[in-house]
Amino acid sequence: MSTPQDTKLEPVWHAEGVHVGDVLSALGDIRRKFARVGAGDEEQPHSRNRVMTLVAVATTEADEKRALRACRAITVHHPSLVIVVREQPDVVKGRMDASIATDTHQSSAGLEVQCEIVTLHVGSAAGEHLAPLVDPLLLSGVPTYLWWLGTPPFGNRGFTEALKIGDALVVDSAHFDQPYHSFLGLADVAASSHEHLGIADFQWQRLSPWREMIAQFFEPKDRRLFMQGISEVGVDYVGDGRGNRIGAALLIGWFSSALGWKLERAVGGSGGVGAAHFMVAGNRLLEVAFRPVPKADLSQGAISAVRIGGASGGRTFQLSILRDPERPHMLGAEGAAMELRELHPSGEDHAGAEVAERKAAQHRETLLKIRDMLHHTNTGDLPGDSTLKNPTVLARDRRHPDNAQILLTMIDIGGAETLRHVQHVDAEDEAALLLELLSTGAHDAVYDRSLAAAAELMRAL
Amino acid sequence: MTDPVPPNPLAEGLHDYRVADPSLMVIFGATGDLSARKLLPAVYNLAKQRLLPAGFAVVGAAIDDLNDDSFRKHATEVITKFSRTQPVDGRVLQSFLESVFYVRVDFGKVDDFKALHRKLDDLDHARHVSGNRVFYCATPPPTYETIAEQLKATGMNAGPGFQRIVVEKPFGSDLKSARELNRILQRVFHEDSVFRIDHYLGKETVQNILAFRFANLIFEPVWNSNLIDSVQITAAEEIGVEMRGAYYDKAGTLRDIVQNHALQLLALVAMEPPVAFDANAVRDEKVKVLRALRPILDDEVAKATVRGQYTHGWVLGEQVTGYRQEHAVAPGSLTETFAALRVFVDNWRWAGVPFYIRAGKRLPKRVTEIRILFKRTPHLMFGRKAAEDLDPNAITLRIQPEEGISLRFGAKVPSAGMRLRDVTMDFEYMTSFLIETPEAYERLLLDCMIGDPTLFTRADEVEAAWALIDPIEAAWRDDRPPLATYAAGTWGPAAADKLLHADGREWHRA
Repeated sequence: MSTPQDTKLEPVWHAEGVHVGDVLSALGDIRRKFARVGAGDEEQPHSRNRVMTLVAVATTEADEKRALRACRAITVHHPSLVIVVREQPDVVKGRMDASIATDTHQSSAGLEVQCEIVTLHVGSAAGEHLAPLVDPLLLSGVPTYLWWLGTPPFGNRGFTEALKIGDALVVDSAHFDQPYHSFLGLADVAASSHEHLGIADFQWQRLSPWREMIAQFFEPKDRRLFMQGISEVGVDYVGDGRGNRIGAALLIGWFSSALGWKLERAVGGSGGVGAAHFMVAGNRLLEVAFRPVPKADLSQGAISAVRIGGASGGRTFQLSILRDPERPHMLGAEGAAMELRELHPSGEDHAGAEVAERKAAQHRETLLKIRDMLHHTNTGDLPGDSTLKNPTVLARDRRHPDNAQILLTMIDIGGAETLRHVQHVDAEDEAALLLELLSTGAHDAVYDRSLAAAAELMRAL
Repeated sequence: MTDPVPPNPLAEGLHDYRVADPSLMVIFGATGDLSARKLLPAVYNLAKQRLLPAGFAVVGAAIDDLNDDSFRKHATEVITKFSRTQPVDGRVLQSFLESVFYVRVDFGKVDDFKALHRKLDDLDHARHVSGNRVFYCATPPPTYETIAEQLKATGMNAGPGFQRIVVEKPFGSDLKSARELNRILQRVFHEDSVFRIDHYLGKETVQNILAFRFANLIFEPVWNSNLIDSVQITAAEEIGVEMRGAYYDKAGTLRDIVQNHALQLLALVAMEPPVAFDANAVRDEKVKVLRALRPILDDEVAKATVRGQYTHGWVLGEQVTGYRQEHAVAPGSLTETFAALRVFVDNWRWAGVPFYIRAGKRLPKRVTEIRILFKRTPHLMFGRKAAEDLDPNAITLRIQPEEGISLRFGAKVPSAGMRLRDVTMDFEYMTSFLIETPEAYERLLLDCMIGDPTLFTRADEVEAAWALIDPIEAAWRDDRPPLATYAAGTWGPAAADKLLHADGREWHRA
């Protein structure tokens, strides 16, 4: 994924206290003007060439910037209409401050294509009136993706209405506030939303390398029988508290539902240790162990290891996948985040841990704002006009973008020597992840199935 | 092919998940140009995409006196230089190189093949490969027989797991030699294990021809002689023969491009719907088309074909020499660098529809496309004046470089009166999908490891194509039609235009 262009896009239109009709009218003018650029009277105007509408809902200025950055990186190659909506309390309720920027690129065929980036600052919570707000702006005939940065207001009537305008809801369940409850809220949405709505989850996309490694192990025909002989499964994940167990639950939800396992019972111990018992083929009861591990260089909630072992056809097998096994301790952003967490000691139960985590997050948010203020005081630049040179990126959320990672797969079959296989996963890039999510069309029956299984598991643990 | 093992349930829903069983890929000619430019970079990119299974390894085999370390150094250099993805990821490359090995092999020495066999057995055990082997002949065609025979002599063509051989075009130089090559390969490997690479078929847009035709209801009803006037296939290159003069002077455009790439495109456009997207179903339908091509015999050759050779001229703003002045080309060469043909597919669907093929070097630009031209409307109610700017409908399937599909149709010009003009509706492959297009060799190498020969050419396809080409070649050797010349940077000799003018048509502007 190419890096997003950091040049600031100047709006070609801006107005305050307007209605959506004004935005639509301005958009129409811009399109007509573009269509005529370079075309003489007798020539055919540029045809419309846009592949999607991407609606991004942000609750903070930082999220808005993230959304703009990721959307721009994508629209460089895939001309789209982007609508970024953010709540801004000082805007008169029922009105909006709106701006339109355009990004023009030359396609490989030599045609100029225009991406439109519409920013709407609204006076009330974006989720309450999103559908009537953006529906008139959507492109017809191409998919609409609704990217909710942060935590969607699950259960809110306006949010439920908003889902009707989209072909897919894009979220990051690793970023949710109140992760446990929000994750279950997401599962409820998946179970009850209209049949054409897909759900795309950044966290699911991050699990792809794990899923690929596991699937690859069982791919050879002579190993297919191993699936029936699995006798032990273990997942290590970083951080304690049930909210950090979501990624592990999603992975096991995928694995168990793919193999037709049925959850019998689950128990959650102190400190995040847990065990789930599944009824598997041959009426065997199989235990899946969840184990929290301290790994300073990985994000909270990240999976650090998966182990699957068993025996079949007279052969034993053991698959171990380890993440960043030899990576040295990383200082910097996550180090700072860890220190902040130490300033806010967790309570003795999961709820206490989550409260502590939220406090740490608020603390980081405050530090982030102070840092920006100091920078702007120092440079005299208006907020957003410049960025810190080599800025220290403090983790604002539970999860921060990963650095490049290594997955080490170790395979033991029978008495043969251990086969080590190293694979690399690209450094996490939000735009690249978003692009991958959208490229699959965001209708993923396997995710839906895995989400349901993970939610069942989370409730039981 | 029927696969008795049910699909891997864990693979469901994994985007782009096409993983082969662990195998060893032996590259004969591993230090050569094809290996450097295409194969090693393609395998590296498969590793980068995590598409290679644990245990997979590359074993380079060539006459050069290298060892594992020096071959890895060579691999590093060529991957760094030629990889499609840049910059090369040092960590991925490092991991990949750990699965790269080298064995010195003189193709004429059976002992060298025995040493190779021992190396493969060792790797097989250490890497849980279960005897799966792919032998890639990145070597000149004359070596194929020797390599196949040595593999057989040392027993590497059999055993547990799969054993496959990959050969590059040209598949023979005429029907007789193609049959001989097929016979040799089939003596050592089952036809299902022979993978003849025509890298054109690995291009996404070539595969998209099948999707376009058979995944959409609206095109099939018009895809026949009732509504289609003619089909034009253009495979143009702006480059000359470069360093391939010696080979090209023997082959010429007819053998190098028309016999394989162009006829494969024709087959994909003209074939009947296969019952499934599997190797034999697709190739059965393609071979039916190739067998239905009306032979161009004797006197017909002069009327239905054009051969040309470029002289000096200007290409993309650069002055270039003529063909006969190119490196390793005979000064008096009569080899064609341009070929144009009018062919007919004698079956119910295409009766009377001419397929025009043109291919050449030093044409104005690199472009490969297929244009389907429809007949005119039987009656135009708007009057002749209103429609004077209107051409018949056309669908253009662009293969390279700007992959996509265009539909041309008439529309009313905005004005008070009724005037019609052509407009186009464009689908552009790169922007419409949010996915990077893989390199053809990556796709084909993976297909080969998986054992999916759908995009590879079957023996009977090769032979059917040569059956059309052989009589043309024979007439051309007798200087029928005479070799025409064209200035580099133009669309071929004037005779090519006349070929269509004689039918009341003209080449479209590619």
